[in-house]
Amino acid sequence: MEMAAGGRARRRFMERLSLSGLGGLGMGAMSALGATPVQAATGSEVRQWDGETDLLVMGSGAAGMAAAIEGARQGLEVTVLEKFQLAGGSSSLSGGVCYMGGGTPLQKALGFDDSVENMYHYLVAAAGVHAEPARIQLYCEGSLAHFDWLNELGVRYATRFSSDKELSHGADSLYYSGGEQTWPFREQAKPAPRGHVPPAHNQTGGRELMKLMHAAAARLGVKVQLRMSAEQLIRASDGRVIGLVVEDAAGQRLNLRARRGVVLAAGGFIHNRPMLQRYAPELASSQPAWGRAGDLGMGILMGLGAGGNLLRMDHGFAVLPLYPSEEVLKGVVVNRFGQRFINEDAYYGGMGHAWLFQQQGHGFLVVDGDSDYPGPDYRFTLAAEAASIEALETALKLPPGALVNTVGYYNQHAARGEDPQFRKQTKYLATLTKPPFKAYDLTVGKAFCTVHTFGGLEIDLDGRVLDGWGSAIPGLYAAGRTSASLPVAPYLASGLSIGDGTFFGRRAGAHAAGKGA
Amino acid sequence: MKKTLLVALCGLGALWNQLAQADETVLAGDAERGRQLFGACRTCHYPESYVGNHNGPSLHAIFGREAGTREGFEYYSAALKNAQFVWTPALLDAWMANPEEFLPGNEMVFVPPRTAQERADLIEYLKGFGEP
Repeated sequence: MEMAAGGRARRRFMERLSLSGLGGLGMGAMSALGATPVQAATGSEVRQWDGETDLLVMGSGAAGMAAAIEGARQGLEVTVLEKFQLAGGSSSLSGGVCYMGGGTPLQKALGFDDSVENMYHYLVAAAGVHAEPARIQLYCEGSLAHFDWLNELGVRYATRFSSDKELSHGADSLYYSGGEQTWPFREQAKPAPRGHVPPAHNQTGGRELMKLMHAAAARLGVKVQLRMSAEQLIRASDGRVIGLVVEDAAGQRLNLRARRGVVLAAGGFIHNRPMLQRYAPELASSQPAWGRAGDLGMGILMGLGAGGNLLRMDHGFAVLPLYPSEEVLKGVVVNRFGQRFINEDAYYGGMGHAWLFQQQGHGFLVVDGDSDYPGPDYRFTLAAEAASIEALETALKLPPGALVNTVGYYNQHAARGEDPQFRKQTKYLATLTKPPFKAYDLTVGKAFCTVHTFGGLEIDLDGRVLDGWGSAIPGLYAAGRTSASLPVAPYLASGLSIGDGTFFGRRAGAHAAGKGA
Repeated sequence: MKKTLLVALCGLGALWNQLAQADETVLAGDAERGRQLFGACRTCHYPESYVGNHNGPSLHAIFGREAGTREGFEYYSAALKNAQFVWTPALLDAWMANPEEFLPGNEMVFVPPRTAQERADLIEYLKGFGEP
């Protein structure tokens, strides 16, 4: 009896395994996604409304929840639609860092002097030609109030600063999360640590942040509906967005009416391959794609179909995390010609961008016996190891003399604590003299360089989606990575995406309520 | 189908384990390709013992472990906590291929690997971390 039952169970199990070769249900649904606009339905097609509220929010990550919370605080009835079985979006997988400054209570408590002007100057310098000064100014001027807003939601920070370039230990809450202390930015704005993160081990602060945001939203009466996938906007004949077509867990299509507006906060498009290859080919070339499974570009494509304009679609973060350990930053990063191209202590978003976009994702990290990683590391594989730089150069098939020249020049100045080419901080300068010399392979695809998208719908300072003429589409908002906002490439600092999504998400919710944030 | 599997997982746990251990994934995996693919999983999972739990439980020495029992991980779904099976390569393959059918009610939100070969590569990579 037992054997027979076992045999049946085993057969079913094997059937399941062979079925699985055809691909999971989730992939089937996903492969239907393309890179073309999703046409809005017209109000006259709607035979009946299956539900009605003031504000409909697509996506339950930080941006969507900020819009929902602010809308509810200002009197709106709000429903949030989440495609998956668990709320929180990519924000819940993130480190939960929020980029804030201008003299926050945490900065002050830890003895750091910061001002709105310093913060503004850093962000403008780091955003370079892509800076939107009015947006950055509003964000910096509102930063202290945003700190209070998060505090009211229950977000608490430990009064502990870390000088590490990446927060991985969990007990600390404030750090330099961008390139503030690195050249050239340290000469353009007075450095201050602005990465604020709830204490959480192994960079799981995003989970803590989203837990608190969802609890706050629940207290305000916001409804969060899981396994509800927004598929189409609904527009009235005058062009106003009046609702969403939504698919529930059973595959039923529902027409939901939004009296005050719809907020598209469904993340970016790092997991939509056709869209990524069409709009952001450099990002498409790197691995791994980081983001939760909902980063499918659906919000962007729906906004595009309603006439929304797209901005900076090829922008994103390309994070090449050489550190931790920070010891390796004493080494040199060279391109395929054996030349340095950036200060190795650059923020890892700046490093990744320079490597992926300007060096076409080729290069090596060269270290010596003193600056090597403590052991084998999952991020990078060894390209070559040798007893001398000359032998390493030969093994890497670099142009003769190129690496020898690079390391010779570097060593000559590092011995005096100088880096005339790229102005690396003194603490990361050391001569590379102790064998064995190693070169880690920085070849795109092989090297661990996480990518995520920043391009999306153009929005005004109140989160309203703009069309190609610069006019707001009535009733339509976007926030977070569905919109093109503060984060640009190269990425400016960890925490700016969460900061932007919550800050401008709030403004969208407030605008829909007919009031200011 | 779903109901049958649920019964099998909940009621016939021990038997299921015996069966599953006999099954091996069909394809040979490539650990280096697995390393590259596994990068996407690192928003939540780390197989290195020195990292431990993250957004998801540690995957150190995953094969041979009872599912839903990683020390210190407080975020298991009820479905996984009550599943009572031991992880094998074949079961991990089935989970990644079709998570909803494999264990209804699980809370792992992820982009499934695209092919059976990719799943085999991931499994081969994970075998390198403390397999007994």
